[in-house]
Amino acid sequence: MKHVVVVGSGASGVHFAQSALERGWRVTMLDVGRSAPAAELPHASFAALKREHPDPAGYFLGRAFEGALFPGAKGEYYGFPPHKGYIFAPLERVAWRARGFDPLLSFARGGLAQAWTGGSFPFTADETRDFPFEHSELQRCYGVIAQRIGVSGAVDDLAPYLPGHAHLAPPLDLDEHSRVLLAAYERSKSRLNGKLRCFVGRSRAAVRADDRDGRQGCTNLGRCLWGCPREALYTPSITLRELERHPSFSYVPGRVVTRIEADGANRVRRVRAESLDGGAELVLDTQHVALAAGTLASAKVLLDSLRAHGGVSPVLTGLMDNRQVLVPFVNFAMLRKRVELDSYQYHQLALGLERPDPRHYVHGLVTTLKTALIHPIVQSVPFDLASALWIFRNAHAALGLVNVNFHDERRETCSLALEVERDGSSKLLVRYEPAPEESERIAGALRDVKRALRALGCIAPPGMTHVRPMGASVHYAGVVPMRAERTALCASPRGESYDLAGLHLVDGATFPFLPAKNLTFTLMANAARIAERLDD
Amino acid sequence: MTEPLERECEVFARYLSGSPPSDYVLAQYRAAHAAGVVDPPGGATRFDEFVVRQARRGAWLARALDAHARVFANGSLLRRKLVLLLALLEVRSPHAEALDTPTGASRALMLLTMAWLGVRFAFSVALVAVLLIPARVALGGGGAK
Repeated sequence: MKHVVVVGSGASGVHFAQSALERGWRVTMLDVGRSAPAAELPHASFAALKREHPDPAGYFLGRAFEGALFPGAKGEYYGFPPHKGYIFAPLERVAWRARGFDPLLSFARGGLAQAWTGGSFPFTADETRDFPFEHSELQRCYGVIAQRIGVSGAVDDLAPYLPGHAHLAPPLDLDEHSRVLLAAYERSKSRLNGKLRCFVGRSRAAVRADDRDGRQGCTNLGRCLWGCPREALYTPSITLRELERHPSFSYVPGRVVTRIEADGANRVRRVRAESLDGGAELVLDTQHVALAAGTLASAKVLLDSLRAHGGVSPVLTGLMDNRQVLVPFVNFAMLRKRVELDSYQYHQLALGLERPDPRHYVHGLVTTLKTALIHPIVQSVPFDLASALWIFRNAHAALGLVNVNFHDERRETCSLALEVERDGSSKLLVRYEPAPEESERIAGALRDVKRALRALGCIAPPGMTHVRPMGASVHYAGVVPMRAERTALCASPRGESYDLAGLHLVDGATFPFLPAKNLTFTLMANAARIAERLDD
Repeated sequence: MTEPLERECEVFARYLSGSPPSDYVLAQYRAAHAAGVVDPPGGATRFDEFVVRQARRGAWLARALDAHARVFANGSLLRRKLVLLLALLEVRSPHAEALDTPTGASRALMLLTMAWLGVRFAFSVALVAVLLIPARVALGGGGAK
């Protein structure tokens, strides 16, 4: 039986593995695999947790109060749930140094997408123009993935920018705030579509409304941000659990892959992995390896492997990430209303700005903040806390946030390389420089977003817009791009390295372009596509 | 006799929510202090501690000193204590519901109240800034103790 070793259990790894198993391959998955804590009070809604949990401060703020955000702290408009800390907990053996970039790596079972907000946004044909294969291949795989994970949404005004695909389930129920916004859009559509080229529609989310495949449908517990205890919101660990039941699949957690070794003909021969608990090194003989550890971690394994193989460690250029800008807003029509906690919490609507070059489309995720902790927001209001709280109580239902995403392109000035220490260990060097025209591009788009919000009856309070640092979106891609022609430090259309035959890069590392969209859905579709062509 | 931290939690909870803290909130408030999470980076100054001692005297003083700190010392010990307590109150019923329920004010009343809050805030900031000058001179405004 043909055998492939998959490195990493994130969105790309599990769907590559699933498609490989469906084609009769034997799969061994090596992973660090830090596990999520068990869901607490899985029946309870967000509001009920505050009544029923024996230690709500421990749950919401963390046992060491690490979820409490103090004035002046570097942070965003809501804190990251403490019990999701396992997703981004660092691993000493995978060290990095960065300039112009705040990298986030994950060593969790299920990878970075354990913190995914479910945004499932297919790329358009224009956006995959540089991808060296037919867009229809990806389009078909979107359907495959949608069937596996459950994607809800609608084909509406955003369809030119978010194409439809097979197995798109009906959208979830809208909360009142999103209904009000959508109704306002319908009233102002001609102005928004005409002058601003702004379009609003239902977002696409990897959320099941029905009970299926061991997952329970969304019942509006309002715990999306805190970790859906019903697994209605998809995470890769759900697929991993299914894979573990397959007789040809073996999962090996507690391992850090150090390098992949090749023979004199540059053909993959084995994988080496260290044990996290100090056990013996694991050496697996294989001719096929799928690197799916996420762009940064995969690149480090590739660089370490090339250094061990040829004695030289190259520089991988073209690192990309989506710049994100958070634009909070207040919807006047929702002031003084009671906040609706029992509803889906992430982006129910999306806002798109068309640009002359279709690849420069700007995508906004419209989130109506409800179950984020309130103390980070209240303390940012320029009043004493009690007055700020009074204002917040009357405005909470009216608050929203547009997370504006921008595309990125490969540039020589954005790179990954190795810094080799005296003891032979290595550190990943990350360097990122924004495009020279970025500020102008952001300013123009933000002007349009704020105009659109005004047309929807909202205002964006001055001084509250927050430009997130590069690296914060965790949409990393581009350092080993797919090319049709054989090129060093690139991958074939099947994701296979041109430097080491049998090494398949199945995560974002091979994307030649990054549209202004969360890439997770496309990562999964592309990984499935590569696995389907493993036999070619 | 009530210990200072308990008195402080009681006064600050009344200032923020209008009602006293539950035993659970008080226990968590104590635990957070024991864990050192409220200490400002670089440590609290003698002036910081003086401000907190004054704020403990009553909800009205807490509000005035909070307003002053919001403008001149946002990351100070007082602000950190108040934000911590707000975080604890918002995660536990019944304060959680009370802190997140609209006041029922009409649109006009809401606008009027906001104007009043703004005026009171500005007045508090100015008054406290003047009243604290002697203490600031005596204790030194900056630097860890």
